[in-house]
Amino acid sequence: MHELSIMAYLLEAVEEKAHEMGARRVQAINLVVGQATGAVNDSLQFYFDMLTPDTLSQGARLNIRRTYMTFHCEGCHEEYTPEVGGFECPRCGLVGQLANDASELQIESIEIES
Amino acid sequence: MTFQIIKISQNLLANNDEVARLNRRRFLDAGVLAVNVMASPGAGKTSLIIKTMAALRERAAVGVIEGDIAGSIDAEKVMRGGARDAVQVNTGGNCHLEAHMVQQAIGELDLNNLDILFIENVGNLVCPTHWALGEEVKLCLISTAEGDDKPIKYPQIFASADVIVLNKVDLIELVDFERDFFYESVRALNPQAPIFEVSCRTGAGMDEWADWLLSKKPQRSLENAVGSRHAAE
Repeated sequence: MHELSIMAYLLEAVEEKAHEMGARRVQAINLVVGQATGAVNDSLQFYFDMLTPDTLSQGARLNIRRTYMTFHCEGCHEEYTPEVGGFECPRCGLVGQLANDASELQIESIEIES
Repeated sequence: MTFQIIKISQNLLANNDEVARLNRRRFLDAGVLAVNVMASPGAGKTSLIIKTMAALRERAAVGVIEGDIAGSIDAEKVMRGGARDAVQVNTGGNCHLEAHMVQQAIGELDLNNLDILFIENVGNLVCPTHWALGEEVKLCLISTAEGDDKPIKYPQIFASADVIVLNKVDLIELVDFERDFFYESVRALNPQAPIFEVSCRTGAGMDEWADWLLSKKPQRSLENAVGSRHAAE
């Protein structure tokens, strides 16, 4: 539901950088999107396609690397990603402590043609 | 023709964060505690603001930015509830407030006359968490009637909160809300944030929460305080 705003900010940042670098077009945009953001890949792609006509980013590939929440288990001394519907460690059943909140909305890099 | 990979490594919402930093500077200079109120629809955001104002009567001047998809019902309500000033921001269908909307709204407020500014976000447990507004305190408000599983379904709002308020505790026996389960999930996500249990209906817990909030108010910067005194003369 908030993917439109996210993509609008993305496009602004990418276009700014691409113009600054004298790009003729943007070939690819490499993103990191955390699972806990609730942003859905298909929706990100949908709004990207909607927003990009007549920009340098038109037709660019959107490469999205997803990250997942991890917790640290005090019992097993290991990190785990819980199953949907709870925060328990899959090995021992204890509820651990959040280690990575998977909140990333990050532009890693862009690939440009100039 | 050349191909290049340009490393960027920046938050996708960097342009929003930049405006949020400017907002934050203005709040700190004016000595205003800005509180981003995030909750689902019906959790009691507007009620909490009104009851907090009542608990702080004569101790704090409160302003409110009301973010809503449409309408101005809440701004009228908080003005009747004792707010010094209120601005309605209609997001035009957007599911969250963004820093530039708040920047525009604070242009209509006299920050020097305020101690606390509540920024009531659009009712939603997902989207508002990504957009920094310049606030000092991120408040996650949740009500017992919504169920004890909200931290599991919406972890980010709990993980990023500076304070959590659990409203409608007067209903807790009626809605099968397991306190231990709720606390265990919240503490797995966020071991530090204080949690206040309140009821906006009965007034339970309001004083403790309001006192905590007031203790977070920053001091007005000296330069600004002198400036505003001159302006008043």
